[in-house]
Amino acid sequence: MSIIKHKKSSDLYLSDKPPLTSLGKVFLALSYVILIAWAFAIIWPLAQMVLSSFNGNQGKAISMAGTYVFSLDNFRYLFEETYFFSWVKNTIIIALASALVTLLIVSFTGYAYSRYRFSGRKASLMTIMLIQSIPTFAGITAYYTMHNIFSSVLPFFSREALLVLIYAGGGIASNTLILKNYIDSVSTELDDAARIDGCSNMQVYRLIIMPIARPMLAIIGLWSFIGPFMDYMLPKILLTNPQSYTLATGLFTLINDVRTMNQPAFAAGGLLTAIPIIILFISLQGQLVSGLAQGSVKG
Amino acid sequence: MKYYPVQVADDIGNLHPRKHLALAELADLGLQLEGARPDQKAGLKASLASKQRQLAQHPYSQKLKAFEQKAQAFEADLKDKQSQWQNNSPYKDKRVAKLDAELKAAEERSAFYQAYQELSYDAELAYLISQRQQLHLPGIIQQQLDLEKSLAEKEALKAEAEKQDRGAVKADIAAYRKQRQEVYQNKLADLKAKERQGQISSKALASERKMEKLALKEDLALKELEDPVKGLEEQIRSIKHSLKVGIKEKYRVMQADISDLRRRTPVEVTAKHPRKFLLNLVLPGLAQLANKQYIKAILFFLGSLFIGFAAIPYALGYGNYQGQGVAGLISLAQGGRRVDRSIIFMIEGIMAIFLLILALAIYYFAIRDAYRVEKKRIKGIRPHNWFETKESLESHGFPYIVSTPALLVIIFIVLVPVVTTILLSFTSMDPKHQSKFAWNGLANYKVIALGQGVAGKAFWHILSWTIVWTLAATTLAILIGFILALLVNQDRIRGKKLWRTIYLLPWAVPAFITIMFFSVMLAPNGILTELISGLAGYVVNVKNDTTLTRIALVLLQGWLGSSYIFLLCTGILQSIPQDLYEAAEIDGAGSWKRVQHITIPLLLYQIAPLLVTQYTFNFNNYSIIALFNNGGPFVPSKYGNLAGSSDILISYIFKLTIENQYQALGAAITILISLVLMFVSFLGFRKTKAFND
Repeated sequence: MSIIKHKKSSDLYLSDKPPLTSLGKVFLALSYVILIAWAFAIIWPLAQMVLSSFNGNQGKAISMAGTYVFSLDNFRYLFEETYFFSWVKNTIIIALASALVTLLIVSFTGYAYSRYRFSGRKASLMTIMLIQSIPTFAGITAYYTMHNIFSSVLPFFSREALLVLIYAGGGIASNTLILKNYIDSVSTELDDAARIDGCSNMQVYRLIIMPIARPMLAIIGLWSFIGPFMDYMLPKILLTNPQSYTLATGLFTLINDVRTMNQPAFAAGGLLTAIPIIILFISLQGQLVSGLAQGSVKG
Repeated sequence: MKYYPVQVADDIGNLHPRKHLALAELADLGLQLEGARPDQKAGLKASLASKQRQLAQHPYSQKLKAFEQKAQAFEADLKDKQSQWQNNSPYKDKRVAKLDAELKAAEERSAFYQAYQELSYDAELAYLISQRQQLHLPGIIQQQLDLEKSLAEKEALKAEAEKQDRGAVKADIAAYRKQRQEVYQNKLADLKAKERQGQISSKALASERKMEKLALKEDLALKELEDPVKGLEEQIRSIKHSLKVGIKEKYRVMQADISDLRRRTPVEVTAKHPRKFLLNLVLPGLAQLANKQYIKAILFFLGSLFIGFAAIPYALGYGNYQGQGVAGLISLAQGGRRVDRSIIFMIEGIMAIFLLILALAIYYFAIRDAYRVEKKRIKGIRPHNWFETKESLESHGFPYIVSTPALLVIIFIVLVPVVTTILLSFTSMDPKHQSKFAWNGLANYKVIALGQGVAGKAFWHILSWTIVWTLAATTLAILIGFILALLVNQDRIRGKKLWRTIYLLPWAVPAFITIMFFSVMLAPNGILTELISGLAGYVVNVKNDTTLTRIALVLLQGWLGSSYIFLLCTGILQSIPQDLYEAAEIDGAGSWKRVQHITIPLLLYQIAPLLVTQYTFNFNNYSIIALFNNGGPFVPSKYGNLAGSSDILISYIFKLTIENQYQALGAAITILISLVLMFVSFLGFRKTKAFND
């Protein structure tokens, strides 16, 4: 007691952790150095993009050589001289349609595979898994010609529609598995109770399974929505007219094609595209990661 | 089946004695024959055969035939009568008239069939059904009439009430509404004040508000009912609902009751072996028609329409966009018109084959269904009527029905293109043979294996770089993410949330934007190029140097990919229970020991299966290669003119197929790497629960 009384309160060691050894102190300092270095490595390029998008004192290429002049010229160029708005519109339409088609198909298959024991179930599940591992690009040669054939029968079948079907079709297998695993983890008591009360299969699906599976459906829908934003290869193959491009293919014309090159405008467009997605990812990071993880492993 | 069974079985599995005396005799003889001594067998066999031959002449058969004719005449007559009753019904409501006519018919049937109950099970069933209808129908009719009557009454009352002056009631309700809304507003203000003072949380405020709103709505609705018109309207709505739903439900109960009778009453047939199902070989649906399952027959006829007017003509080349159906697969448009393209012939041939597979599936199911029905019928089990078929379709057929759209999309969007690619790899489609190409066996695979020609020259170089790239880039990303997660999740690190948000950015910014921006920054005169050149003291041009480009790619993928690994690991680290660490600490483990023996094993165990996906993802990471330097720099002496030195297999395939029209060669490489990828993913998910479940 007497020792404590003599010491000042600031010297009192109150933590429940043992005091750091000098080695521990060095390690902690090192940790901070690494963390700060990596944070710098992340922020610096992104900051360059933000800075450059607002810098009016650049030519066709991004440069930081001249004096920095804040202006919105790059955004103006993007809006007025490029098809930026139609790229945004195309991407959103394709993304929304892919998400809807995926949800419509997958919500049924996930329910059927989780709740029913029908003959051919295991065999088709294995087939689905193998199909899942065939990369999407395996069919690139055929897509182009198939579009010709389909659109001769159904004139309204556009290239965008084919793109939507490819995105949705490529996701059926994995998303069915994700949803099946999720519904598997919910006890069947509710279904049974509903059936005893006279619900048909469709009613159980609509009234019981859909509300329960809503969180996972939201994640599946979100990923199917984000997919077309990130994809570069398929739109490059299927969409040929600059006005029908998606954001990825459209923005690329601003840096690779000499005729349309305008790198600062690309930075501006990239910034505008990235901000909503960053907000989405930061606010939903937990769900998005768990959704991805669920797809490949379960127990 | 060699002999007729002595007893017939019903759907539930109960056995019933035969009513068909002729068949009963035959069955008896069969039984005797089975237990007979060899010397008696010949005699018994002869008498069995003669009896079988004279089956139609047996007195019972004659009697049965007479009954059947009579019953047929009776039913035809009754049908006319029933429609007359329905048309001249005393009831105005059409539904009641129909139900009433049904009830009268049931009464007639009951009288007619009662006498024949002992003769055959068909008669017994008809009698039982008519009894059951007489039990149910009057109740249904009565309910319908009662409901209609009370509906008319309520509507009259409502008309009456509408005429009267309801000013006082309305004023009362309006006053109540005003007062109640005031109460609601006060409560809201009260709640808000509480929230501001910090007594309740904002979440609680929101939910309280919702509850108050609900209570307000309910109270107002209740008060509204004091207005007689409103009250009556409510009642009328409920009556209409029972009229619409309640009656249907009761009718269904009757049908379910009847199908129960059908299941309990066997049927006797003279056939010994299923034969009618063979009709379906001619046209799916005919056998169902012969079994008197009319709606099922219609459904299968629709399938036949698909077979006859879509699948077979398409396979024969009619209605093709350009091709010749299945034959196009063999000819590949050789010797065709100038505009004919081999690739179209090939794809249409593949689609024709898939259509034929669907057609065969319809054939198979139609025949199997008819065969099963007939086989059961010989045992004594009645075929399902439409009500029962519908029920079983709704329960057992459900998973198949709802998976059909998925199946169609997978066939046409995934399988047809993949099969096309497989077949293409055995053809000679290259820049010189774009419109017309021919089968050429394994030539493409040979070109790849030997690394020959303009296109094949680069294959082995690209393959080795692809492997190095996949291993290096993925492992780097995993290491960075792993280490960062361990560092951030130390107890003593502050600002965990901030670190996590920053480290999430490379994942959240769409990768194509970051890749393109890095590409711009590392271009000659780019910001990073100038920075690095300044540091190095000489001009460093990353994009013109194979090694530097490759290093930049690996580092960039490490930058991009570490984010996701970091998030995954963080999630897992947070779920490791703290008491494990505490226990270890008590046992004297230092902090490094704890990480080494608790954190790392648990983490690795959980993320290992996920890492397989990371490797396959980078193996196929087209975007980063194409967007960063488009596979460059180009080194024609080593790679030829088609590919660059940082191309990986997927971007090589892309260049071969889309940009340089070596489709066949691209297809062959695609097939090879798809096989490898499928095998690797198979190893990855072999152990998962979903696979073994």
